[in-house]
Amino acid sequence: MGWRLALRPYVLIVPALLLTCGILYPFGLGLYYTLFDFSASKPQPDMVRFENYETVFTQEAFWNSAWVTVLYAVGAAAVETLLGVAVALLLHRSTIVGRVLEKILILPLMIAPVIAAIIWKLMLQPSVGVINYLLRPFGLGGVQWTDTPTGALLSSIAVDVWVYTPFVAILALAGLRSLPTSPFEAAAVDGAGWWYTFRRLTLPMLWPYVLVAVIFRFMDSLKVFDIIYALTEGGPGDSTVVLQIRAYLEAIRFQRYSFGISYTIVLWAVVYLAAMVLVKHLGKIQRKAAEVAAK
Amino acid sequence: MSTAVALRGIRKTYGKTTALDGLDLEVREGEFFCLLGPSGAGKTTTLKTVAGLELPDSGTVELGGKDMRGVEPYDRGVAMCFESYALYPHKSAYDNLASPLRSPRHRLPAAQARERIGEIAELLGISALLDRPVGRLSNGQRQRVALGRVLVRPARAFLLDEPLSHLDAKLRQQMRAELKAIGAVQHTTTLYVTHDSVEALALGDRIGVIRDGRIVQTGTREEIWYRPCDTEVARAFGRPRINLLPGVVTQDGGFRSADGKVELSVGAQAAPGTDVLIGLRPRDITLRGPGHELTGTVYVTEVLGRSVEVTVRLGEQQVSLVAPRPDTTGLRPDDPVRLSVRPENLLLFEADRPERPGRRIEKSA
Amino acid sequence: MSRTTSKKRLLGWLADAALILYFVFALFPIAWMVILSLKPANQLFSTYFSFSPTLDGYRTVLGDSEGIPFVRFFVNSLVVSLGAVALSLLVGLPAAYASARWRFKGSENLMFTLLSFRFAPELTVIIPLFVLYQKLGLFDTYVGMVWVLQLVTLPLIVWIMRSYFADLTPELEQAALLDGYTRKQAFFKVAIPLVKPGIAAVSLLAFIFAWNNFVFPLILTSNEAQTVTVGALSFLGGDRPKYNLTAAAALVSVVPPLLLALTIQRYLVRGLSFGAVKS
Repeated sequence: MGWRLALRPYVLIVPALLLTCGILYPFGLGLYYTLFDFSASKPQPDMVRFENYETVFTQEAFWNSAWVTVLYAVGAAAVETLLGVAVALLLHRSTIVGRVLEKILILPLMIAPVIAAIIWKLMLQPSVGVINYLLRPFGLGGVQWTDTPTGALLSSIAVDVWVYTPFVAILALAGLRSLPTSPFEAAAVDGAGWWYTFRRLTLPMLWPYVLVAVIFRFMDSLKVFDIIYALTEGGPGDSTVVLQIRAYLEAIRFQRYSFGISYTIVLWAVVYLAAMVLVKHLGKIQRKAAEVAAK
Repeated sequence: MSTAVALRGIRKTYGKTTALDGLDLEVREGEFFCLLGPSGAGKTTTLKTVAGLELPDSGTVELGGKDMRGVEPYDRGVAMCFESYALYPHKSAYDNLASPLRSPRHRLPAAQARERIGEIAELLGISALLDRPVGRLSNGQRQRVALGRVLVRPARAFLLDEPLSHLDAKLRQQMRAELKAIGAVQHTTTLYVTHDSVEALALGDRIGVIRDGRIVQTGTREEIWYRPCDTEVARAFGRPRINLLPGVVTQDGGFRSADGKVELSVGAQAAPGTDVLIGLRPRDITLRGPGHELTGTVYVTEVLGRSVEVTVRLGEQQVSLVAPRPDTTGLRPDDPVRLSVRPENLLLFEADRPERPGRRIEKSA
Repeated sequence: MSRTTSKKRLLGWLADAALILYFVFALFPIAWMVILSLKPANQLFSTYFSFSPTLDGYRTVLGDSEGIPFVRFFVNSLVVSLGAVALSLLVGLPAAYASARWRFKGSENLMFTLLSFRFAPELTVIIPLFVLYQKLGLFDTYVGMVWVLQLVTLPLIVWIMRSYFADLTPELEQAALLDGYTRKQAFFKVAIPLVKPGIAAVSLLAFIFAWNNFVFPLILTSNEAQTVTVGALSFLGGDRPKYNLTAAAALVSVVPPLLLALTIQRYLVRGLSFGAVKS
């Protein structure tokens, strides 16, 4: 009887465990494949040890992709954070306008990123797209949005920003609403100004919530795929080939499976490292926020 | 009388904290047993161990003489009233009361169940609340529903965890008086947990005092009151608290206070020179009665309704006493006053030590 | 005094104006899609805001007349998303409950393995699955899609439901045990009804994420089990871009998540912030 009691949680968790193993298996298999030169043209692969990784790191294409990926992730996360926090602060004033708009804040976030990219692709079309039409009165008619390297990257970031700013705003708003009121009351009694209150109280206490959002956004944009695939397919040239797109091209287009997976494994390592650093930073920020709140 | 509930050598730890540290407890068949202790002493853990909701690391639980190892809570036949009420928040008060009577083990036909719930609700004064969802009841009302859920069903034992703590003072007093008169309680073994010594004295056929996961003393209210095992048990019962004056045992087995101002012959069975505390209950000290006499000056008086609490300076010590109001008319601060105490009411303890409170010392007289 | 209040009022208006500006940015693309989808094919490139609206675009998309079986894609999306959520609930609820109620070996490991899926690049698992599915005959099937979508739905459901169960005091189930119910009955009659709002919110959120997924169906399906996200993209192909059809397809494919989002907006927000903040 005793052992049956001890076993109960395991019985409950076994199905999930099995399913997890079902997902883990391809992961392991993928890792294993990277040690071979498995491709559609070579279905009986040979062991090549770490040659795939060596090739990855010596390829100029990899460093280009890594650079584009970092630019994309940093750019998207930064703009989303600033814009998201700003929107949250504006909504937190809860004016009538704000309360109405808050109900539809979530909409872009619920649209599949790939669909969002399609929508923007139609709008950014240089000759017939509505954006250039609207810009024409300002003398900016013929912008080649997705047809120049910089324009393509900026356009992709813009789509990311359009989809995910609500995510940051929602978390920041939840954070703003859960801040303790007593420090603000104390500051008001002391006659502190708006800017002082914002910098010394709101921001430090809100920062942990924002950072959680930033971590999620940064991680996710490092492995961006849908938006770029639909908007630019990596073009023009190689200018928006982020790492997952490169992996896709290698593994699926050129059917060099082992080599393609090696790319994703390297990306995984980068994401993991970035997560570690950011989470550590998060701990520090949380302690600081607790100090401010306790004052 | 046979033993209904027996706990032997129960140990229970949560990580590094020890909740129960070799707890022994016996509750007799049909008895109303009060377990008294401060919060964190292990009262709730004790109840849950009896119920089978917590499994002890070692030791045995017996119900009706049978070892309960491996017996699931629903097969132990005990009912428990949780301090947090643990009412089902998504159900009405009625459905909460009906829950045991709809379970596979205590099922009653719906009509009979309704009748039974009606009786219990009447008894607890919650008949008018039965249709309300639990969320719309006050804490006191919830507590009575929780108690009702226990009383509504037959049980081998009732386990009640502070069932009156959230009632307002008046209702608590009334319920305290009525609880033992309830038929179900009268013929069912009840283990009642409280931190309130007044409740324990009023309700318990016997009382167990729990401290740091062990039972330090078990006995009837008289035994606990007149022969407390140590100073802490003595302090736990009675308001105002017992006066404890430090001093030493004299050559002839008497007591002399630390400042030498108070001397009492007590027949202490301890070596002369032993550091001791003498205990005087405020209600055992009178202003004009027989017994040992002590003189001091009034420090402060406080009216407690029909009686008055007088704090008196005795040398460097202060003692408080409770006297009927007529006896204290005209007493002002700094008035000299004569106190008397009967020798049989004196309690003698070893001095408290950092590691444990002072134990009671027997007197020969 | 009156000067500072009027200054304040001006700032308030400016703030509202800024807010409205953001929401124009957020909503205009959706509005533009509606406009585009209602345009007749011959006015696609010659007009912007004034045109003669028609439902032809929708008729073409839903009538499968471009050789793209969009209705089937829509049904496929429904089937695999619902299937994935159902499987995740079936398997994830007991696991979430167990790991919230008992501390035991392996539970934390499982929880963090699940969480790490959240940060793994999808292609790491898809490429091996692409090879594996071909061998197992799971390529382009519902079963294959439901399996791989667990990567999206299972971590979400387990993590959020775990915190819901953890917030529920175990004394309620203990009370049920003492009322004479078995552990199974206590779980189904007490715990489950009390976390129902949580289950509803997380299921809908998981459904939306599964529905919106693109990489998995892109690589692991070709025609039979393809979903709307991939399907909508295929209208952009071909020699002559059919923007009105693309817009109609895009709109049709965002209808289910948007409807859900609008009706249960508050729960979703809670689920989103909950999941993110707690982990």
